[in-house]
Amino acid sequence: MSHGYRIVQWNPFKTRFDRVLLAGLGAFLIAYVIAGHVLRTPDARPAEIQLLIGAFGGAAFAMLTFILAIGPLARLSPRFAPLLYNRRHLGVACFGLALVHAGLVLLWYHGFSEINPLVSLLTSNPRYTSIGGFPFESLGLIALVILFLMAATSHDFWNAVLGPRLWKAIHMSVYAAYVLLVGHVMLGAVQGEKGLGIASATAIAAASLSVLHILAGRIAMRADAAIADTEPDGWLRVGEALAIADGRAIIVVPDEGERIAVFRDGDRIFAVANACRHQGGPLGEGRIIDGCIVCPWHGFQYQPQNGCSPPPYAEKIPTYDTRIEAGVVFVNPEPNAPGTPAIPSVIQRAVTA
Amino acid sequence: MTRQQRRVHALVWPVLAVLMAALIAASLSARSQINGRAPIVAEEAA
Repeated sequence: MSHGYRIVQWNPFKTRFDRVLLAGLGAFLIAYVIAGHVLRTPDARPAEIQLLIGAFGGAAFAMLTFILAIGPLARLSPRFAPLLYNRRHLGVACFGLALVHAGLVLLWYHGFSEINPLVSLLTSNPRYTSIGGFPFESLGLIALVILFLMAATSHDFWNAVLGPRLWKAIHMSVYAAYVLLVGHVMLGAVQGEKGLGIASATAIAAASLSVLHILAGRIAMRADAAIADTEPDGWLRVGEALAIADGRAIIVVPDEGERIAVFRDGDRIFAVANACRHQGGPLGEGRIIDGCIVCPWHGFQYQPQNGCSPPPYAEKIPTYDTRIEAGVVFVNPEPNAPGTPAIPSVIQRAVTA
Repeated sequence: MTRQQRRVHALVWPVLAVLMAALIAASLSARSQINGRAPIVAEEAA
């Protein structure tokens, strides 16, 4: 959360996650190089450095595909939500792999002339009107710049400085980077490949990712269209108070504006904005632990009565006024300013003699 | 995500999917043309 600045806030989960990540990457790189040796005859075998270029490029593309699949998977099933927690580490590792790939390319293909390697890369092939001979390196370079910007601004410090909306908008440019990389691979490695292995893997990755995102997008749009019933006074009908599981929430969609998470904590009902201040995580899919709403994405906490993160943190989200009539909860769709205390509605239970 | 971000996301991905499909098709078509030529011509084209 926002208090203080540390490059990585290590904890046992992150340490384990990164160890598995490094082991997986090492296994991928070794397997790629071994396969390059075993599957090719000696006369068709590329130089070691060319195998490494392919290995690092392939690992970066595979990792980016996985990273981009995490978001829709988490929206389709909460079981994948823990993967969101460490997505930043995956993103930075992906940039590192792409950087090594680019460095090896510059060294091997452009490092032995008198021209600056980067200038050589951008000027040695001007056939921008050809498909088969397109200078695919330029696509990879633009994607690398986007990945760099994302890695450089991935820390929560930049999220706080830029604001969640701008930060998210910048980071959505990763979709453009992915398309550029599909072009980079298809117009580069695939054109020189004898078989269709790389082409098939790239096409399957792009198709799977597209299906996942389109599916998740449709579900989200359908949920946004399920607008809650509005009372004559403009308040929204949430439902039976006791139908809300203790410590959990029901998410309500107003006609305009953002979704509202209506939480029950024992006999008290609170309503806050559904979008976490950090990265817009769905707070209504989280739960109340130790008196605080916990975001299911990265564990950001908010006090339900005022939408403020517990001290020393400073994040604030809007709260909403609620009321209960005949056991039914209603919420005012007009948000209070972030951090404004809202009096909780109390569930009146029938007293039996 | 905000409602606007969800809307952008839902609109952008079908477009990206079409774009990537077109790229893949164009690439495979160019590749098959190169592979269909004599080796020396293919080498020049590459």
